[in-house]
Amino acid sequence: MTADNSANRRAFLQRATVLAASSGLSVHQRLTYAAAVNGGHPLEPRPGHHPARAKHLILFFFTGGLSHVDTFDYKPKLQQDHGKKLDKHDKPLKGSPWKFQPYGGCGKMVSELFSNVGSVVDQMCFMHTIRGDSAGHSAATLGMLTGSITIPMPSLGSWLSYGLGTLNTNLPPFVVLAAKEPYNAYLAWDASFLPGYHKGTRLFPGANPLPNLTSPVASVTRRELESLMLQDLNAGHFEKHGRELDLKARMTSIDTAYGLMREAPEAFDISQEPQFVLDLYGSDTANPASFAAQCLTARRLVERGVRVVNLFDVGSNSNWDHHGDIAQHAGLARNVDRPIAGLIKDLRQRGLLDDTLIVGCSEFGRTPWEDANPKGRGHYNRNFTCFLAGGGVKGGHSFGESDEYGATAAENPVHTHDLHATILHLMGLDHTQLTYRYSGRDFRLTDIHGNVVQQVFN
Amino acid sequence: MRGASVLFFGLALLLALTSTVPSGGAEKDEDAFFETNIRPVLASSCIECHGPKKASGGLRLDSRDGLYQGGDSGPALEAGNAESSLLVRAIRRKPDAEIKMPPEKPLSKQAVADLTRWIDAGAKWPDSVVRPIASDRHHWAFEPLQTIAVPADPSGWATLTVDRLIARAQQENGVVPVPPASKSALLRRAYFDLIGLPPTPEQVEAFLADSSPSAFARVVDELLSSQRYGERWARHWLDLVRYADTAGDNSDYPIPQAYFYRDYVIDAFNADLPYDRFLHEQLAGDILAQEAPESEYARLVIATGFIAQSKRIGTRELEDMHLIIEDTLSTLGPAILGLSLRCARCHDHKFDPLTMDDYYAMYGFFASTQYPFAGAEELRKQTKFAPLVPPQQVQRLIAARESEVTAIKSQIEAMEKPADSGAASGTVAGIQNTGTADTLKALREKLTRIEKQDPLAEVPTAYAVGELKPVDVAIQINGNPRSLGEKIAQRGPPKILDENQFEIPAGNSGRLELARWLTHKASFLTARVMANRIWQYHFGKPLVSTPSDFGFRGSPPTHPELLDWLASEFISSGWSVKSLHRTIMLSKTYQLSTDGDPQNAAVDSGNKWYWRFDRRRLDAESMRDTILTLGGALDLSRPGPHPFPEPSKWTYTAHHQFNHVSYPSDHRSVYLMVQRLHAHPYLSLFNGADPSLSTPSRDNSTVALQSLYLLNNQFVHQQATDFARRLLTQTDDLAARVKLGYMRVYGRDPELAEVTKCLTFVDKYLRSLEAEGMPADRRDLEVWSGWARALFASNEFFYVD
Repeated sequence: MTADNSANRRAFLQRATVLAASSGLSVHQRLTYAAAVNGGHPLEPRPGHHPARAKHLILFFFTGGLSHVDTFDYKPKLQQDHGKKLDKHDKPLKGSPWKFQPYGGCGKMVSELFSNVGSVVDQMCFMHTIRGDSAGHSAATLGMLTGSITIPMPSLGSWLSYGLGTLNTNLPPFVVLAAKEPYNAYLAWDASFLPGYHKGTRLFPGANPLPNLTSPVASVTRRELESLMLQDLNAGHFEKHGRELDLKARMTSIDTAYGLMREAPEAFDISQEPQFVLDLYGSDTANPASFAAQCLTARRLVERGVRVVNLFDVGSNSNWDHHGDIAQHAGLARNVDRPIAGLIKDLRQRGLLDDTLIVGCSEFGRTPWEDANPKGRGHYNRNFTCFLAGGGVKGGHSFGESDEYGATAAENPVHTHDLHATILHLMGLDHTQLTYRYSGRDFRLTDIHGNVVQQVFN
Repeated sequence: MRGASVLFFGLALLLALTSTVPSGGAEKDEDAFFETNIRPVLASSCIECHGPKKASGGLRLDSRDGLYQGGDSGPALEAGNAESSLLVRAIRRKPDAEIKMPPEKPLSKQAVADLTRWIDAGAKWPDSVVRPIASDRHHWAFEPLQTIAVPADPSGWATLTVDRLIARAQQENGVVPVPPASKSALLRRAYFDLIGLPPTPEQVEAFLADSSPSAFARVVDELLSSQRYGERWARHWLDLVRYADTAGDNSDYPIPQAYFYRDYVIDAFNADLPYDRFLHEQLAGDILAQEAPESEYARLVIATGFIAQSKRIGTRELEDMHLIIEDTLSTLGPAILGLSLRCARCHDHKFDPLTMDDYYAMYGFFASTQYPFAGAEELRKQTKFAPLVPPQQVQRLIAARESEVTAIKSQIEAMEKPADSGAASGTVAGIQNTGTADTLKALREKLTRIEKQDPLAEVPTAYAVGELKPVDVAIQINGNPRSLGEKIAQRGPPKILDENQFEIPAGNSGRLELARWLTHKASFLTARVMANRIWQYHFGKPLVSTPSDFGFRGSPPTHPELLDWLASEFISSGWSVKSLHRTIMLSKTYQLSTDGDPQNAAVDSGNKWYWRFDRRRLDAESMRDTILTLGGALDLSRPGPHPFPEPSKWTYTAHHQFNHVSYPSDHRSVYLMVQRLHAHPYLSLFNGADPSLSTPSRDNSTVALQSLYLLNNQFVHQQATDFARRLLTQTDDLAARVKLGYMRVYGRDPELAEVTKCLTFVDKYLRSLEAEGMPADRRDLEVWSGWARALFASNEFFYVD
């Protein structure tokens, strides 16, 4: 953030404020209008409230409930007391079937499910005392991604787009990579009452990642002629209608559409990546619906200026929800372990990791004790683990300590609201200042809660 | 007064702006800190005893003066020095403190820290916030409607009341109205405004040829009497009531009957059902139906779909009823009264004088109401839907079944007896017994079958409500239904609007009384809110720029007298919406052109004073309906039920939600199936209403993905081709085709230069096709399809002047 930028910003705001005060339209309509007055775009990049540690966010969401005690929260006492019944719970404790070992310079204990992630723990920060408000998939998913388990609210990515704009207006500011829909589908990336251009744009793996990206008209010449005809019609109309800004703004959005048609296929096309890069992500990249291909796409999008990429590894079924047999975690971990590590390495070697915040989470964790089926684990929202990497976060670090079984926070509990406040802070936004007035109230991602966890900053 | 309110408006916006973006101004941060961290604490924990109701110890904490003056124990605080402030000692509650406050429940650590920080920073009470905390009842929206003395317009421009009130504000603010719109622009405006469809070339020609002064009034009347009018204007209401065809529970169960309510709203607008009656029916149709003719019964019950539409939660039958009721109140309050009640669920409203008492007094009406259940993960069938036949008929059906059961039972009994008594002659008896056994078996089977059947299975039902045993509910502490306060909130209106309770007949929920109260004692607010909305839908912006928030934090009207006059007219016309359309559309203000004017723009760039008409974009529904019309495919009939899967196949869960998004249709867009939890891809792309929230005004953002749709989508290409085919069959003359196309798409004739440009395109395109080797007989259709696509994506199509 340069001084020039903030001076421009102030001048822009002054004009916007005059406009806003002089009309009956909503603040945001006025802001959009003001952006157009200044030759800008409603999504033009905006400086945050304070210097940002990260410019981009890549958010992994592991749908169904990733077990913390089988992956990143090593609990030797749980292994020891396997089968023992605690007074508070009617099911016996269940040790992890997987072995843990220390990784990296920091010696972080990680289970064999995530041996590849183990190789990059020195770049990662684990938060072991996350707590959410619901143990139901649908509500908890919204809690993690929108901050509200009841009323539909704007998603984290939408808030970031609203607060910061984007660095490449030829691509959407907030992209969702989801081969399948998670619980509550689009509500997980909706803009709700924020203007529509902040909502997540879902890419579909395969030949047509974005709807309507390719013209049914095969001939380039004729496409060109149609585009010129359209330009002619709009230019004539523009001149006859006093060269008004709303008309110009839409003409710009048509130009952007052509920009997308030109740029997006290349941005989504991972086939040109060199073999040594593909190798980082594992062997699945040939399948466009794979998590590996999505991770690689995420890197390409971030490189091209996309503000937020939210990846869902699986949808609302056949996911991490292993009530019946926790051993099934192995298959899902295999799909994501190498790509996550690959993405972190890839970003690092390109010097992008410092600018990119990576967050990995589930809607909740899983019980340290058996579920109805002794082989499985149930939903558990009172204490679970999320991880962060890059973008101003301490590497090789763990924050918050759960009790000997991973059941409660022994110290430093972190609510999902606190996680959100922390993510916003790293991106340069103050969660108490990032507000939007709707229906007579200033809404925030963190509602009336949230404390920034400064201890994870480097 | 107006100066002050405009100033306040500006400041409020300034605050809102700076709070959304980095401000850099410490002052703004302090204001925001006060608003979010200090004011709420004072409001919820202190004002009860240190406010207008009782100033305990002579101390009031509802204004800066009160705080600085202090009470019997001296000044409450020393600005800049929290340590020596009495207030801080009191809230810290150290053992040696002379006073410990609040007496019952200590403040949270956070609140104590915030107050300390605030006092240390100088205890600044923002200047911009002139109102005291939630105690002042004087607020423009809560005052009775003013009688307006309508000033004459010295310039002679205005004769009608609307124009005279607009003209006065223009003159005060130094703007001058631009000339009226051209006739073709005005016609296109009126068509999209009232019916959401373009005029045909014949309709354009007829209007242009009609030079009588009443020509436009006739067009307005024709449009208002068209069935297409209700399909357009019902959509505005459906936006407000967040209409959807699914329930919104975690599996989003389909509601095949939901569309009855949608059609009811369309019919109500077409019939110009008086708005007061419209509200009575939607809030209490089931109660009105008991006294109404039998022919009206179904329609009245269906109207309460307004209430039934509340979003469902979770996996069980009517799970978390308090949140379902919350959703009803979060719709009713903003949509009808322009008041957000939501905040008062957990604490007294921080900004508006609404208390938890008020919230739970309103809550009681709906706690006394039977909501229907559409099915959910753990009970996959409908229950508690409202029968669409009167109770007498329901009773008759139940009685008929009972008498049939009794008859069969007695038959069985009668047959069983002779079998016991035995027969004299063995062989004969044996034969007889076999026959009896068969008959008995058949009868028993019939009995089981009938008993299993729901006697009301054949009775049609609606997603609508009914009466429950009436209850007054206890306040829920922090909005938690498991943590009840001692206080019972008697069902009634918010005290800020009416201190008196109304009589609720014994055994009734009181919804009918509530509905009548809204349109009688609270009519000043109900009418203002709706008149403002009707103005908004005509002009693209409301007089009160926060149409669902008429509270303290809402914006005051730009034209307070006009708003009150419109509201009074609305009431005195018998709440006729169509009459208000005429009043507005026949004004000169409505008929202004969209032309710019540098001098006006210099003082009022946002057109706050209506010196011109604001150009508007087509909304999602109008655009799709128009493209279908141009392609000749629009089906104007009313579709029946959506083709949902058979209820016996409903196995939806959170893991496998009902997710059909929509069904293909050539009907008007208002009839498309919309899911509460799954966005309709087309409607959401073009900023349609959010089916999970009440939408008072749609987002108008234009994004690149919309342009991609218009450029490349298969539907648009198909309709453009069909449109081109119609042009080709109508005329062989190329210039005439251009003219016809312009007339259909833009509602005007092209200029000569435009025709030339289009023909150049046609020529080049033809040559390109020829070069590609396309057979000559197919080229024309390709050319004109390409031309049509350019028109469909153009600004002149997308915007209405």
